[in-house]
Amino acid sequence: MTTLEAPLTAQPRKPDNPRRKRRSAAAHRFRVWGGVATCILFLLPLVWMLLTSFKFQRDIFSVPPKVLFEPTLTQYVDVLTRGGFAGQMLNTVIVAVGASVLSLLAGAMAGYALARLNIRGAGTIGALILVSRGVPPIALAVPMFLVARSLGVTDTHIVLILAYCSFIIPYVMWLMRGFFLSLPKELEESAMLDGCSRLGAFFRIIVPISLPGLLSTFIFSIILAWEELLFALILTNRSATTFPVAIAGMVGDTESGANWGALAAAGMVTVIPVVILSLLVQKWLIRGLAEGATKG
Amino acid sequence: MAVQSLDTRRLRTRTRAKDVAGRWVFLLPATLLLVAVLAYPLLYTLQISFSAFDLGTFAPSEWVGADNYSRVLRDEAFHNSLTVTGIYLVMALPLQILLGFGIAFLLNAEWRGRGVIRGLFLIPMVVAPVVSGGVWKIMLDPLWGIVNWLLGLFGVSAIDWFGSSGVAMISIVIIDTWRSVPFVVLIAAAAMLSLPKDVFEAASVDGANWWHTLKSITLPMLAPIIAATFVVRWLGAVKMFDVVLSTTNGGPGQDTNVVNLYIYRQAFQLLQFSTSSAMAMIVLVITMALTFVFLWSSKKMEDRL
Repeated sequence: MTTLEAPLTAQPRKPDNPRRKRRSAAAHRFRVWGGVATCILFLLPLVWMLLTSFKFQRDIFSVPPKVLFEPTLTQYVDVLTRGGFAGQMLNTVIVAVGASVLSLLAGAMAGYALARLNIRGAGTIGALILVSRGVPPIALAVPMFLVARSLGVTDTHIVLILAYCSFIIPYVMWLMRGFFLSLPKELEESAMLDGCSRLGAFFRIIVPISLPGLLSTFIFSIILAWEELLFALILTNRSATTFPVAIAGMVGDTESGANWGALAAAGMVTVIPVVILSLLVQKWLIRGLAEGATKG
Repeated sequence: MAVQSLDTRRLRTRTRAKDVAGRWVFLLPATLLLVAVLAYPLLYTLQISFSAFDLGTFAPSEWVGADNYSRVLRDEAFHNSLTVTGIYLVMALPLQILLGFGIAFLLNAEWRGRGVIRGLFLIPMVVAPVVSGGVWKIMLDPLWGIVNWLLGLFGVSAIDWFGSSGVAMISIVIIDTWRSVPFVVLIAAAAMLSLPKDVFEAASVDGANWWHTLKSITLPMLAPIIAATFVVRWLGAVKMFDVVLSTTNGGPGQDTNVVNLYIYRQAFQLLQFSTSSAMAMIVLVITMALTFVFLWSSKKMEDRL
């Protein structure tokens, strides 16, 4: 385009060329509307799930699909009162919070050690953490199942909490290490001048000012634990089952399309809490994500 | 001043001595937990993979050397699952990186709604994989799904999204892409915003068109970030399990039976613990080797700039 038009204008290489300006304004409009359109496109599946979750069965099976219909809460009532889904949600909350608290405590301390205390081989440990994120969970599954079985702790919350630490702790260490590196060293040094121990300085000075980073890492951990399926499948069977197991079963049963409403309602129930959480710490979450990915 | 600096120095020495003990206090909880739930299970898997398995006691029995491995390496279905996983990765990863950076470019246009749009992009990312499988199963249903109905408006005959060979993998890639692209977008958008503006201004003053700018400035500057994003996405994608389990369950036939699902079935439905451990170790080695290659090349790329 430019090469074709360039000879026609007297001064083609100036940025304040009106033609160029007009073109860049058009490009800007294209980007804005392209962005909005893409965003809508990505949200449509969730909108469709939301609509389906408020439909009566008769409105779900219709050609053409109905966008306007008489809304109902029956699907939500059904899903939350029957079949133990409410209990599975509660299990998920317990396991996700438990695993995240434990991982955050252990991972933040270790991340601090990697960032601040001149540990010989800190680089190696850092590389190991990154590598551990490549460990396929299936390579841990059989021993976890066998050990849990022989200890008689299958189908308990604690066993899932511990299993989830295997992938959340490395993540927390990595994110928090980056966060601590960005803090000025003088902070804890002055506290230690006043006679604080390193551990005391960490909990009294570093933790309070790192709350935004800790909070977003915490929410990230919650999301990681929230959606986990494999360990939940093999380590629980009834009383500690989390929602991904239940929903995987429901999705598998939709061949006939029989329980779409229930599936959509259950799906919404699982999505809403994490959406709210992640939007609350949106700014920090995005920064944490970007740093977690690129600060290697 | 002099006194103070002397004081500080003495304190520093004292601190350093204390740190030797202190650093282990900091590392202890994470180390203990990771040994228990990561290192020990891995070693146990390694042991089982070289042993026979006694289903009576539910424990590995005698050492059988590389028997399990040789059996696994002859297993056609295992080969197939590796191939299927490879096909999925080759389809999904480039698509997701390309789309992610493309959309990030659109989203970074400066206007009032930018923050809101970016926030909304977070949403698909936090939908659990099984739930996204569910949503798409509803939408892609051959009889009642909205996608086939929409395509029907354009005269496309109904597609059996999960039941027909070849198409099923495309459906899996679509679902995974819907969930994963927002993640790439957010990283890419943040990275692109941090690029130095003056270089682009200079390029535009020099009359470079957008294609030239993209080719000789934006892409080289983004290369390390693209590489890093690729590594992170790769680490997520090799674990592909939930979406397949909930939608196609490996079918039709073995067409979407990714390696994690295959091993899971061998271990927990057929109770082939020895061979499935050997398979898991093979997958672990392949994953690690490729991760190293990717990390190494992304480091190389970073150093070059």
